[in-house]
Amino acid sequence: MSDAVSTDDLVAWIRAFRDAVHAHKDELTRLDSEIGDADHGSNMARGLDAVVAKLDPVPATASDLFKTVGMTLVSSVGGASGPLYGTLFLRMGPPLAGDGEADAAALGAALRAGVEGVVARGKAELGDKTMIDALSPALDAWDAAVADGPAAAARAAADAAARGRDATEPLVARKGRASYLGERSAGHIDPGATSATLLLEALRDTLAGAE
Amino acid sequence: MIGIVAVSHSRALAEATVHLALQMGGDQPPAVRVAAGGPDDDLGTDAVAIAAAIDEADSGDGVLVLMDLGSAILSAETAVEFVTAPERVRLSPAPFVEGLVAAVVTAAGGADLAAVAAECATAGEAKRRQLGDGASTVPDAAPPASADDTAGDSLSFEAVVSNPSGLHARPAATFVKAASRFGAEVRIADLDTGSAEVSGHSLLALMALGVRQGSRVRVSASGPQARQALDELRALIDDGFGER
Repeated sequence: MSDAVSTDDLVAWIRAFRDAVHAHKDELTRLDSEIGDADHGSNMARGLDAVVAKLDPVPATASDLFKTVGMTLVSSVGGASGPLYGTLFLRMGPPLAGDGEADAAALGAALRAGVEGVVARGKAELGDKTMIDALSPALDAWDAAVADGPAAAARAAADAAARGRDATEPLVARKGRASYLGERSAGHIDPGATSATLLLEALRDTLAGAE
Repeated sequence: MIGIVAVSHSRALAEATVHLALQMGGDQPPAVRVAAGGPDDDLGTDAVAIAAAIDEADSGDGVLVLMDLGSAILSAETAVEFVTAPERVRLSPAPFVEGLVAAVVTAAGGADLAAVAAECATAGEAKRRQLGDGASTVPDAAPPASADDTAGDSLSFEAVVSNPSGLHARPAATFVKAASRFGAEVRIADLDTGSAEVSGHSLLALMALGVRQGSRVRVSASGPQARQALDELRALIDDGFGER
């Protein structure tokens, strides 16, 4: 397999994320109806449709790609996922400026910059029942597997994200709309952690295809 | 004059609130822009639209942004990354309605960004005080009044407020705007309740004073245009702020 991830691979990842959100749109909305305002699936699907519409022609570099994705999401999602996912992608671009291809370490560093941007924006910590509960363990798993190349790192990250997502079920939400429910938010999987897991599974599937 | 941007999930909510605030903005209100509603005209917020509204409202004196809740705050924070002059943008923690009213009135009086932001930061106080929360504090309360006609360069007059609802929002806003037009530090005290003096430049402090019809107030001023400021304010009070 290739140790390098091309801009085309990253474009394919974004398209795959859009497809995954569409495939799970009803599930995301159902999860959000239990502890939020029932719009996570439709908001993310709308935002990612707007993103995919801007990927033709394909951006020349990874940093151009992520800037386009981020700016489109902050403008067309509508809910809090817009600035949060938007910031994730906006922060991923600068670390990837320059080279045409990224190795596992470079892509991991970009993901970390993106997730740190989400933390700074949303002020959420691990255990608050948010997307961070999927993203943060995924980063650690990526770093642990980085020597095995990007496909293996993405596989480890997606598995860790799914475990983090499932672990949100008993938690009481401390951020976002769900936090208004207090104790009643326990017993439900967090929709943001669910869509964040789709993001990493889409990366896993995309890079596995290139393997 | 500073500009103001109203950020809400709902365009209808933002426009109605701006309408309410501009009723107290006088003849020369500040520039107020609305950035509200998401894609498809649904409820939501859009950081790019917020950034455009901030740039539009900025004449060079800066912009204060008022937000409702949730993603409005996240989107406004994100928008600051996209504006032309982020160092001239402040996001206010004030409640949306009270904050917008205070921002419009204070900005119309010519206050700078820091002063308007400080005024809005206490925008929840008047309501808390009205409802009897003893823990509240009146913004800009002065030390025990000692000024009178002969003290230093401070001048003052006493007058009875004749407005049926006392110094309620609209006359209070008129007072603040008039007081802020002159090179003078204006203060006002309610002699019937024995209140401490408060700043005559703060709408919220004035409303928190809760001056009722028939109450006697003392208005004092110091500074190069103290005399002109007091003449104008006395005329306004005697005229019932045009409400009679």
